[in-house]
Amino acid sequence: MRRGRLIGLAVALALFLALALQPGLFTPLLSLLVEPGTPLVYTRQSLIALAVWHIAVVASAEAVAVIVAVALGILVTREKGAEFMTLARMTSNLGQTFPPIAVLAMTVPLVGFGFQPTFIALAAYGLLPVFENTVAGLRGVPATTLEAARGMGMSKRAILMQVELPLAAPVILAGIRISTIINIGTATIGSTVGAKGLGEVIIAGLQAGNAAYVLQGAMLVALMAVCFDLAFRSLERRAFA
Amino acid sequence: MIEVRELTKRFGDRIAVDGISFEVRDGCVLALVGTSGCGKSTTLRMINRLVDPSSGEVMIDGRNALDMPLEQLRLGIGYVIQGIGLFPHWTVARNVATVPRLMGWERERIEARVSELLELFQLDPGEFAGKYPSELSGGQQQRVGVARAIAAEPAVLLMDEPFGALDPITRQRLQAEFAAIQRRRRMTVILVTHDMDEAFKLADTIAVMDEGRILQIASPEELLREPRQGFVRTLVGLDDRALRILSLHTVDEIRREPTGRWEVRGETLIDRESGRAVNGLGAGDTLREAASRIIWEAVETLPVLEAGSVVGEVRADDVWAAGGRRA
Ligand SMILES: Nc1ncnc2c1ncn2[C@@H]1O[C@H](COP(=O)(O)OP(=O)(O)OP(=O)(O)O)[C@@H](O)[C@H]1O
Ligand SMILES: [Mg+2]
Repeated sequence: MRRGRLIGLAVALALFLALALQPGLFTPLLSLLVEPGTPLVYTRQSLIALAVWHIAVVASAEAVAVIVAVALGILVTREKGAEFMTLARMTSNLGQTFPPIAVLAMTVPLVGFGFQPTFIALAAYGLLPVFENTVAGLRGVPATTLEAARGMGMSKRAILMQVELPLAAPVILAGIRISTIINIGTATIGSTVGAKGLGEVIIAGLQAGNAAYVLQGAMLVALMAVCFDLAFRSLERRAFA
Repeated sequence: MIEVRELTKRFGDRIAVDGISFEVRDGCVLALVGTSGCGKSTTLRMINRLVDPSSGEVMIDGRNALDMPLEQLRLGIGYVIQGIGLFPHWTVARNVATVPRLMGWERERIEARVSELLELFQLDPGEFAGKYPSELSGGQQQRVGVARAIAAEPAVLLMDEPFGALDPITRQRLQAEFAAIQRRRRMTVILVTHDMDEAFKLADTIAVMDEGRILQIASPEELLREPRQGFVRTLVGLDDRALRILSLHTVDEIRREPTGRWEVRGETLIDRESGRAVNGLGAGDTLREAASRIIWEAVETLPVLEAGSVVGEVRADDVWAAGGRRA
């Protein structure tokens, strides 16, 4: 199981790097998609640079989403914070159901084009899975374990840090994984407002009617998502053991 | 010394514990017995304040538990939780070390204490210290739960069905080990159990609870000889009370001076009257064991042995009298 995951990760990573660094290798495949004579490899920007930007915007949005969502999840599972549950759930639900493209449209006038509106849209979009999993993970800590912790004389803070969060960690990590995977895909729309990222390749393909570009961009995004998925899964397993 | 006065707990309209009072003197063991849902666990939880009493008070060594800082109160009270509740993400050693760590003991002291406790409960430290709770059997987990509760040598110990998930042999061995530790450390203990035999064996005082009230609180012998009408009688069980009374006493209490009847020949002991070889009793054996042996051997008298020599004898009539109704 663990070996399978590592092998999968190695293969996905190798493919991703090959496609990003040596896209020329794939010309035979890409040439099947388009009329002869059409450019096959996107050259306006280096693919690897776009991938790095893509990761940067997803990672920074995730960082904020995770901090906010985990903090909210902790708050609403405390005795005193239970009343915020509905509010917190509404907020994170709204973040997820409000179309990110609409968020872009609304934030561009406020913060301008590029990185910022994309970052905001992704942070809002990534909130819900992390929040829900944090709540589920914390609620899943067995009642007897909590009673033991309290009965032993641990402070509330110690119980949270030493018992609840470690026990909820695998579920919280799964939430972060889901949120990250979703946002790696969603981040492609950032290119509509001028954020640097792999969406640029896809959009260029759409505009020029070049299926080779579209496929290239899409494959890079998909492989990136697969890599993160597998990496997170092995992390989750480690957190659980 | 634990004093509980008029302690009451309501959950909504339901009264879980209904104005109970009792005290447990230093170094004594009180057993709380009663059917499921009668309020035993709730009573324990009010003592370490996992549950806030609706009314009444708990005094520990003359101090009102409600006035003491919560964590300090709990650090001083060992707690064996019903359902064990080991920390699943910590090793056995880390689990046992919970309270000593909270109290800031030094590392060497904690390690030594953990090994000592694991050995005491017959869990080889080399094998078990690094294991996780999920790798243990139910009985092993239970032992770790008890070890964790007494790790910091609390003066007060609350145990909620600590030996529930054990086979009879392991349970008896643990009960005996626990009794020895308790006597040595003179802990003040409240023990919740469903098992009357456990209560008779370990407790100085037994409180019988039903529907949140204490119906009778008495020494084991008193409870057996004079159980109140109704529920207490049903729970105590009158059919074998003579045998249960016998198990509260030891051979030492009724042994007489030995007569010349017993002859030691090498390894064996001969009864000169019958010419048969007999097995002697130990001075610490219970009268129940003595009665069983007397019946089995079909004799009137058995010798008491200590370190290979006869130090006394026990007569059947004396045993019957000890277990019988008092005139
Ligand atoms: N937190 C709670 N909220 C509501 N009712 C409760 C709560 N805790 C206990 N009760 C109720 O109080 C009563 C006494 O419960 P308690 O756990 O003290 O019983 P018990 O004697 O320990 O039973 P058992 O032998 O099954 O462990 C039960 O009817 C139970 O349903
Ligand atoms: Mg109980």
